[in-house]
Amino acid sequence: MNNKNEFLKKPGVQTLLASVLCAVLGIILGFIILLFMNSEHAADGMFAILRNFFKFSNKPQQLMYYFGSTLVKSVPVILCAEAILFAYKAGLFNIGAAGQYTIGILVCLYTSLALGWNWFLCLLAAAVAGGLWGALCGFFKAFCNVNEVIAGIMLNWIGLYLTNIVLGNEICMDTTKSETYDLTSKNASGVLPGFIQGVFGNNQYMTIAVPITVIVAIVILIILNKTTFGYELKATGHNKDAAKYAGMNAKRNIILTLVISGAISGLAASLYYLTSIEHYKISSSVPGMGFSGIAVAFLGGLNPIGAIFAGFFVEYITLGGQYLNTNYYNPQVADLMIAIIIYLCGFVLFFKTVLNKPKKIKTNNADTNNSAEKSAAKKEV
Amino acid sequence: MVLLLQYTLIFSAVLILVALGGMFSERSGIINLGLEGIMVFGAMAGGMVMVLLPDSASKFTIVVLTLVAAAIAGMLSSLLIGVACIYFKADQTLVGTAVNMLATAAATVIVKAFNTNRSNGTDFSAKLDYVKGHAAFMFNIGSLQLSWFVVIAAVLLVAAIVLFYKTKFALRLRACGEHPQAADSVGINVYKMRYAGVLMSGFFAGLGGIIYIAAANSTWHFDYGVAGAGFLALAVMIFGQWKPERIAWSAVLFAVFRSLSNVYMGIDFLHALPISGTVYNMFPYIVSLIVLAFTSQKSRAPKAEGIPYDKGAR
Amino acid sequence: MDDYVIEMLHITKEFPGIIANDDITLQLKRGEIHALLGENGAGKSTLMSVLFGLYTPEKGVIKKDGKEVKIKNPNDATALGIGMVHQHFMLVDIFSVLDNIILGAEPNKFGFLTKAAARKKVLELSDKYNLKVDPDALIEDITVGMQQRVEILKMLYRDNDILIFDEPTAVLTPQEIDELMKIMKNLAAEGKSILFITHKLNEIMEVADRCSILRRGKYIGTVDVANTTKEELSSMMVGRDVKFAVDKAEAKPGKEVLKVENVCVKSKIHQNDSVHNVSFNVREGEIVCIAGIDGNGQTEFIGALTGIDDISSGKISFLGDDITHKSIRYKNTHGMSHVPEDRHKHGLVLDYTLEENMILQRYFEPDFSNHGFIKKDAMREYSNRLSEAFDVRSGQGPETIVRSMSGGNQQKAIIAREMDREHKLLVAVQPTRGLDVGAIEYIHEEIVKQRDEGCAILLVSLELEEVMNLSDRILVMYEGEIVGEVDPKKTTLQELGLYMSGAKRDNRKEA
Repeated sequence: MNNKNEFLKKPGVQTLLASVLCAVLGIILGFIILLFMNSEHAADGMFAILRNFFKFSNKPQQLMYYFGSTLVKSVPVILCAEAILFAYKAGLFNIGAAGQYTIGILVCLYTSLALGWNWFLCLLAAAVAGGLWGALCGFFKAFCNVNEVIAGIMLNWIGLYLTNIVLGNEICMDTTKSETYDLTSKNASGVLPGFIQGVFGNNQYMTIAVPITVIVAIVILIILNKTTFGYELKATGHNKDAAKYAGMNAKRNIILTLVISGAISGLAASLYYLTSIEHYKISSSVPGMGFSGIAVAFLGGLNPIGAIFAGFFVEYITLGGQYLNTNYYNPQVADLMIAIIIYLCGFVLFFKTVLNKPKKIKTNNADTNNSAEKSAAKKEV
Repeated sequence: MVLLLQYTLIFSAVLILVALGGMFSERSGIINLGLEGIMVFGAMAGGMVMVLLPDSASKFTIVVLTLVAAAIAGMLSSLLIGVACIYFKADQTLVGTAVNMLATAAATVIVKAFNTNRSNGTDFSAKLDYVKGHAAFMFNIGSLQLSWFVVIAAVLLVAAIVLFYKTKFALRLRACGEHPQAADSVGINVYKMRYAGVLMSGFFAGLGGIIYIAAANSTWHFDYGVAGAGFLALAVMIFGQWKPERIAWSAVLFAVFRSLSNVYMGIDFLHALPISGTVYNMFPYIVSLIVLAFTSQKSRAPKAEGIPYDKGAR
Repeated sequence: MDDYVIEMLHITKEFPGIIANDDITLQLKRGEIHALLGENGAGKSTLMSVLFGLYTPEKGVIKKDGKEVKIKNPNDATALGIGMVHQHFMLVDIFSVLDNIILGAEPNKFGFLTKAAARKKVLELSDKYNLKVDPDALIEDITVGMQQRVEILKMLYRDNDILIFDEPTAVLTPQEIDELMKIMKNLAAEGKSILFITHKLNEIMEVADRCSILRRGKYIGTVDVANTTKEELSSMMVGRDVKFAVDKAEAKPGKEVLKVENVCVKSKIHQNDSVHNVSFNVREGEIVCIAGIDGNGQTEFIGALTGIDDISSGKISFLGDDITHKSIRYKNTHGMSHVPEDRHKHGLVLDYTLEENMILQRYFEPDFSNHGFIKKDAMREYSNRLSEAFDVRSGQGPETIVRSMSGGNQQKAIIAREMDREHKLLVAVQPTRGLDVGAIEYIHEEIVKQRDEGCAILLVSLELEEVMNLSDRILVMYEGEIVGEVDPKKTTLQELGLYMSGAKRDNRKEA
């Protein structure tokens, strides 16, 4: 009994439990929504989403192919989540990741399609551009005291329109299809090199993007937990006044954090678009990847490795929407489920409180006290 | 030029209402980043009412029912933020962001299901058409076409100013956003006031949502949400220093820039400039960034905003 | 039968882990001033929170005029005529005095405020009790003493007849304290009953009729003030004889360590300087204390000195080196230690572990880092050594999250960190704030030890006892200026008070 309690009190375990709880609740609510839309086929629909590509379980070749596709499509959302959690640890809510991601699309496709650069240079350029876009946000935050959320959102829209202008150009845009040209035909050197495609049913989109993503996650984990830089960032995130008192350079750290966060977002875009699995279309709303990244970051318990699993899960559900019978449902139900899950992530603190005090929740003064202070500290940042 | 005036009026109406919503919420101590999402819910509910009302409905019925539906939908969806942030003490930034995502996804799903049902499975789009509803809101003064929406926004603005400066309710609301412990110590229920603030933001943002989609258009695609209007309103609110009369002025300023992107075609010298139309789309965002850069240093947000209130933590 | 207006009988209130109030009985007579005496953590605040309906006690009853009452929230308390001046004022900064007074009891017609009648009532009350205020001034623009008058008017406006003052003198000058004492006597004479929470014995002796003493959550007793002495009260309060003085030898000042010349700091709130033309020096082996009422520029000056705030003009030299515009990091690494005023805001990262906090300014030094990576072993070892040397206690040793530690141990951790770093100057701001007697004694001893080892010490304190006992020289700060320098052995509390309230000032020659 006691052991069990001890186990439940470990922060890591609690984070995991809270995340699983969010996911499960989200799925249940999704099911209820399906019931509302069409009660007859709700169970089938839910089953289709959850079974997903395992539908092909008797054809291993195809199963692995679709598994690979899900992995490839998880790459950008995982990296966006890494970008967001990295900034969040330093006390910054980088909602601007969506715009940095968009700028990443702009630069990697332009350098590849219009300038014919090699994939490596395109990756690099996209990361640099994303970093610069992040730096802009950091500049407004550090020197003009503009809330990074508001600045990020404005920059998201500016980035979107900029991308529409540049990629809407005939050099990049195939006007007959109203989307950007396929990389393989226009600039084959711009396509990312493959990665054990044989294992994944010769999935041509399976590229080094997948291992790079894992490496980035591990590097972030190390930076945050082992280095003096991570120590500084987290100190700033927890208490920026104490960080200042300790002689840390808050302004530099704000900008640096957003540069890194932006670079990861830019990388996310290029690692996705340079597989040529998707082409850019003129859009009137900011690509949702950066926002889904928020969900993934929180669902993953703000842990770089947790984000990998959360990202895969989110993409799994989103793609699961496509297995729905469109006679009864539309695939956006899956997006709605994801949105519900991120909303539930807001309650993680509450879940943890429940786990901490299974008996008395009401008289839990000390704990709620702390949470209030914590959020106070967060707010100040 | 008349067109520019029309659009400016409409966008001012939207920005004023939504920014006032944000103001009431923040004055009570809750940062409402979900205004964008609330607008979507309001717009959707209002739009659906306009579609559903029979052709025989009078103009008056259309106007009233549409507004009521939008306001109620806005208030209900604002509870998503209220309950999470007040009762569960959730991170206000995260919850606001989540509500925005939720709104766009939910509106898409709901409108699609709505269309599918009505068309017996031939129309899967996330689009609402409400030509008749749109027309019901219009009236003319000379060559100037005006919308009842603008009138309503003006009335609500005056009401908000009076409420904000003259009533017991607002005094208490503001105390909760500045120093909730002080409010509590004199017997004010901080939670209740914060719920009131959030609900008011839902009311205003819901109305703002329907105006945004219906005042200048007769059709709307819900997969796009409301294209950042809620966030522009937040910028307006900050620029307006959380005060209703200043919000009104800043809203007009922002609205002029926002309107340019809609009407630059009709203004000869702008049209002649060698700039792509998309550039005008960027304008309001660039302007608000610059404005915020110059005003944020001195801005004085309600002191206790963003901090969950806990009775025990005195 | 005595005429008790409020009785709290056998109140017991438990929190997880501690019994904050253990069978406490408090009886307040009509028209008396009743002091409630106890150290920090003795249970005074909890008891008052129970009376105010903020906590529900596990056991015990509350009676008003002999009849049992249930108080579930502050509204119930207000309805019974109980009002309180909180230690941290419950005033909204950006509201006017009048708005603050009427908040929660607003006169209105259909929800619209009708302030005229309220203004009249407030002016009448302020006349009757000699509580001068300007109803239209904003709270953020008036002095602390005036803010306190607003708090008192808040109670009177609500026709409260049981008035609770929670540590009301902590932020006042001696002259303002005298004023307050007069007001309290005045109120009692008008039939109001007053509960006066404090740990200052002089004030009790001066103003109170009776005094109840709490110690560690337990009720010790109630005495008539007329028949008791300070010594008796203090031994009841702490349970042993207290050492009022700090043992220390004569100071032997050496070389000049810190020299401050004409330093000014711009205010963040108003147009004027919050620190104006401050000049002084601190030498090796002496404790120089900046005394003054809270909010007279001490915080801003220390901010400028340590680098947290910007300095607008003037010069600061440290060991002969001009450090006016040097970074915090530079000052940290060149011999300046700083025990900050607000340990939660500046001194600690509460969500970091104890060991991580111990290296807060040193994490980048070769001792603790290697090519950008933190040496965890060295950090652990260092933290253990400091904890042992300075008796820092924590639940899970170096891995304890600092937020879960007691205030005293948090402060000791900071003191340990700052004293162990190589330094020639220790800047200590209110190093004993909110600590119990034992911890205070310990910290005072450490500071004196540092001095005797040749360290220069700049102390900022609001506690006059601390100022008088610890320092070798006293500088008094008033409205951002140093208005006097006195020798603690030759001055009196009264003289200090005159300086602190701006009633007296030296024509100091520039240092």
